[in-house]
Amino acid sequence: MEALGISPGFLIVQIIAFIIVLLTLNAWVYKPMLDMMESRKQKIAQGLEDARIASEARANAEKEAAKVLAEAQAEASKVVREATERAATAGKDVKAAAEAEAAKAREAAMAEAELERNRILGDLRGQVAALSIAAANKLVGEALDEKKQHVLIDEFFSGVKAGKVVVLEGADFKGESAEVTSALPLSSKEQEAAKKDILSKVGAQAVTFRVDPSILGGVVIKVGDKVLDGSVAGKLDGLRQTLK
Amino acid sequence: MEQEKRRPWRRWVVLVLMIAGFILGGIFVPVQPEITVAAEKLIEEPIAENFLGMGPLYLVNTMPTLAVTIVLLGIIAFFTNRSLKKSQNTDLVPRGIGNVMEAILEMLYNLTEGSAGTKWARAIFPWFATIMIYVLFANLLKLIPGFESIGVLHPAHGEGHAIAPLFGNWSSLLPAKVEEGGYILAPFFRGISVDLNFTASLAIIAVVAIQFIGFRAQGLGYLSKFFNTRRMFKVPFFGAMDFLVGLLELISEISKILSFAFRLFGNMFAGIVLVAIVAGLLGKISILPAMIMMFELFVGIIQAFVFGMLTMVFMAQATQGHGGEEHAEAHSEAAHEI
Amino acid sequence: MEGNILDAMRYVGAGLAMIGAAGAGIGIGLSVQGALGGMARNPDTYGNLLTNMILGIAFSEAIAIYCLVIAFLMLFKVV
Repeated sequence: MEALGISPGFLIVQIIAFIIVLLTLNAWVYKPMLDMMESRKQKIAQGLEDARIASEARANAEKEAAKVLAEAQAEASKVVREATERAATAGKDVKAAAEAEAAKAREAAMAEAELERNRILGDLRGQVAALSIAAANKLVGEALDEKKQHVLIDEFFSGVKAGKVVVLEGADFKGESAEVTSALPLSSKEQEAAKKDILSKVGAQAVTFRVDPSILGGVVIKVGDKVLDGSVAGKLDGLRQTLK
Repeated sequence: MEQEKRRPWRRWVVLVLMIAGFILGGIFVPVQPEITVAAEKLIEEPIAENFLGMGPLYLVNTMPTLAVTIVLLGIIAFFTNRSLKKSQNTDLVPRGIGNVMEAILEMLYNLTEGSAGTKWARAIFPWFATIMIYVLFANLLKLIPGFESIGVLHPAHGEGHAIAPLFGNWSSLLPAKVEEGGYILAPFFRGISVDLNFTASLAIIAVVAIQFIGFRAQGLGYLSKFFNTRRMFKVPFFGAMDFLVGLLELISEISKILSFAFRLFGNMFAGIVLVAIVAGLLGKISILPAMIMMFELFVGIIQAFVFGMLTMVFMAQATQGHGGEEHAEAHSEAAHEI
Repeated sequence: MEGNILDAMRYVGAGLAMIGAAGAGIGIGLSVQGALGGMARNPDTYGNLLTNMILGIAFSEAIAIYCLVIAFLMLFKVV
């Protein structure tokens, strides 16, 4: 054993050294380290447990919140639907009322307008009647006068001469014969003048004269199938047409 | 010689060191040291004439290393403790050295828990971790430069080396050997794991602790592992065989001491022999001893792991009973062991 | 060079004793091979296999250690 260097004294020294190391490390390193690892493990487990509880609580709260939210949404949608319905009915009522109102107003307006028109028409008719009666009175009143008759004829022919009366210009009446109708028989002087005027203006070949008291007064000249009406009866007729 | 890409200057440092080693190897020619199995005595006279009634105790060069190792471990333990205490009040996450120790020890604890189960992990763990850390430090400390190379010169009894004065009281050995008046070197520091006393004491402690754990776990029933009389009178032939196998278990426990002690010592001793021979023969090519040193680093870590792991596994086995079905298993295991 | 024939025989005997380490080397190699194969096929068993592999290596290495002890005994004239 001497050559290998083993001696009991050294062995004991080494064993004591090892025990010193073991106790030192055990007291200063292993115990606190293992305690720390243990407490850390517990802490982690505690943390995990806490997290689990918290997550459970959160899940519950979320469920609750979802429920509340769903309820609120259902409530809200119900309210909205009701409101919409109510609004729809109210709108319908209002619309119907407004329509009825409008219809009533229109009817009233229309009735009023009818009344007004009727009144106006009535007024107008009165006036027209008065006018026509006045005109007729005047005409009729004056027609009996022979002098007046001649004035009328003169007026007519002078009107023709002055271009006031629309003359049958431009039309080709050659070869046609003109016929002059008057209420009274024309004087020769008048006949001459008329013949001259008509022949010069119209260019008819022959002129015949006719007397027709139904025209009341004035002159009617007929060339071919054209008629130039300057008679009182024609004027009255025109008035009647206008008034109609 | 792999270097990190970001620090290319490191390879130049290595190159300079190689050249320096080459030149210095030419000036101070490496001397193949005297390789002895026993630790060298620093002082010829014993420091205790009769240590505890077991003969003289000499101051050998593993004693200073032992002191250094214990002091170093004590300092580390102290600072780890402080770091742990500080973290205890904050967030249970230690900083600095406490974090490093925690990472290592947590790995070891998980290993223990995996082998021995949660119940006995806490009892086994201090032995396992202490043996591993202690052996690791012992193995790594011997790689520090200055170990095995600086020491006191003793006049050789037989063949020795010539010396050349260096400065002051210091001299250097010369490779030349002289018959008379030569000197041999006794280094100040010698790795404690290259001392059979260290490995043997660890082995004795480990085996005793294994028996201790076994008795603690199974009570007196643990003895039935060695004196197996359970089936002796029930089964005629195999019962007697079991008893003999139990006796073999007893022998195997003793052989565990031997194998524990010599496994570590053999590996570490082979390491220093290899380094010494390679340095002595090829000292000028300084790369090769450096490679051997790296290999020694690897071996040191592996042996520390194996020593601690084996202790832990034997302890875990001792806590589990050897009854019933497990018997056949134990049977074959014992047979393999022998 | 002079010497003792007994010294010479001690060295020779120590060297011969270490031949036994070859068997341990083979045994360790086989156990590591088996363990690594198992780990490769079933990586989940890593921890369990590692423990048992180291145990097996320890048992086979014990043989080499006995050889080493015998070699030391011869070399250093312990017995």
